[in-house]
Amino acid sequence: MSTMETLGNKAAPESPAAALLFPSVGWFEALAGLMNDDRETHEHLGFIDCVAQFTVLDGAADGGPVAYQITFEEIQATDVREVKPEDAGRESFALEATKATWREMIENISAGGGRPDLEHTLNALSHIGTPIALTGSDPLERDCYFRFNQSLQQFVNASAQLPTVFDGD
Amino acid sequence: MGQPSCTPNDIKPLPVALPLNEEGLAFYEKKYQRDYNQWTEILQRNVERMSRGSLSLEWMNTDGSAWGKRAKPSSRGLTYSDVNKLPTSGEMPATATWMNFTPRGSIRDRYREEMPVIDDYTVVSRDELWAGNVVTLYEEAVARQWSATRDIPWGELEALPEDLEKASCQLFTFLTEVEFVAGDFPAKWLYRIPQDFLEVKSFLATQLMDEARHQEVFRKRALAGGGLLHASPGFEWALKAILDAPTHTMGTFLLNLLGEGLILSIFRSGEMIAKTHVDKEIFRRTLQDEARHVSYGVLELKNYLDTHPDRAKALEEMHRFADVGEQIILTAFTEATVIEPVAILLGGGLDKIEHGLEGMLKVWSMFIEEYLQRCERAGFDRRARCKIPVDAPW
Repeated sequence: MSTMETLGNKAAPESPAAALLFPSVGWFEALAGLMNDDRETHEHLGFIDCVAQFTVLDGAADGGPVAYQITFEEIQATDVREVKPEDAGRESFALEATKATWREMIENISAGGGRPDLEHTLNALSHIGTPIALTGSDPLERDCYFRFNQSLQQFVNASAQLPTVFDGD
Repeated sequence: MGQPSCTPNDIKPLPVALPLNEEGLAFYEKKYQRDYNQWTEILQRNVERMSRGSLSLEWMNTDGSAWGKRAKPSSRGLTYSDVNKLPTSGEMPATATWMNFTPRGSIRDRYREEMPVIDDYTVVSRDELWAGNVVTLYEEAVARQWSATRDIPWGELEALPEDLEKASCQLFTFLTEVEFVAGDFPAKWLYRIPQDFLEVKSFLATQLMDEARHQEVFRKRALAGGGLLHASPGFEWALKAILDAPTHTMGTFLLNLLGEGLILSIFRSGEMIAKTHVDKEIFRRTLQDEARHVSYGVLELKNYLDTHPDRAKALEEMHRFADVGEQIILTAFTEATVIEPVAILLGGGLDKIEHGLEGMLKVWSMFIEEYLQRCERAGFDRRARCKIPVDAPW
């Protein structure tokens, strides 16, 4: 688990050798660091207050699910953690997809230089429940995904700056 | 694409101003002559004091107040939540009794007898307005404002094939038509709400601004793509039903929870099926604003039901209202001017409209399920009575 102090302004690794594995808590920590470095962009978009969970349905070593929770407060990512049983229910909403779907989205964003094509935005991938499923037990909390959608899109768009390797490569 | 129907040379001077409404002016004069003694007494007192060269300085007297406590900002600035911690901010009353513009928390009791009464302040019950998230939503709205002129990459807009362009422009025409009811409705109630409910008034003002911007961005997009297309009678009836709602809570349910919930789904669909990055950006920005309005609608209804002295009666009244409102909203959402353009954009062309209609079946069911879940979250179970079919009517 990383909190604001440890996330700080953690920048993306600069050499290909330092490429980060997806999915991993380190990958999400680096993404959070990029957000915290880019204060101007997120200040312009406005406050974001929610806990977003990214679930990789087949991301665990045994092929089961693995999930990461990012806590957003004001205009920063203040906490990143791999979800343990005791973290269940902290999330405002969860975005659930297979490793292949996440990989396709991340590679598409990277190919677009930080902007996905028309078919690979978070909303386009999740609107009809597939290939990304939006879940959450409280409809009011789940609506945070919509209230902060542009900030969340900006958050994942920054992955274009992260040299990423994928599990199984 | 045809020639524009109007050029700058066609513009004619505005008509001359109409003569002043004599009747209205006479009524105004009579009204203020009737209250003449009250306000001229204040005027005379002040003039006399000033002519004596005397100062009042009564406004420096803080007896009976908690003056001196200073508001401290939190990390995000000085929010309503920060200042509302102070006793000097004043407590929001359950029933408003100050029917004028005096700020809650000000020293005002001693002036009550001299104050005018604003007759239009009729929504005096907090529980007809309040929602537990309204302060958060207000601050969020202020922080997340955007500009339809500056924040949309208009320069990237490219012409689409004619069927997709017309479908896009029809969708944007329909959205232009519907958006400002969500401004007119809060505006209609805003001026009926006393100043002591300033947080609610402030939030409704952000909703007004949001809707002005939505109307602006959709209108601009249609005009940038070829022009506005057809108006929709079915939607006009739905919009009228919202404006005519007999109470603020009923109208907020119909507008914010149901209407804007469905429009939020259309915005999400719009983002998904957008054929340009410009349209994607427009829908992502607007759906954020719409989701705030939906959140207010859910918790406003919940608070109303939770605090009503006769919950069963309140629920039945809401059900009667929803029985009518849902049918009118259904009328709107069966209009060809919205279903067909969305189906064309979803399918990928006029020749694939059947494919698009099939795709919309799933989206329709999802819309209705989300609506029913939001009702349940508010403590208003509509599953057994909902007049909107769970399956699309095609």
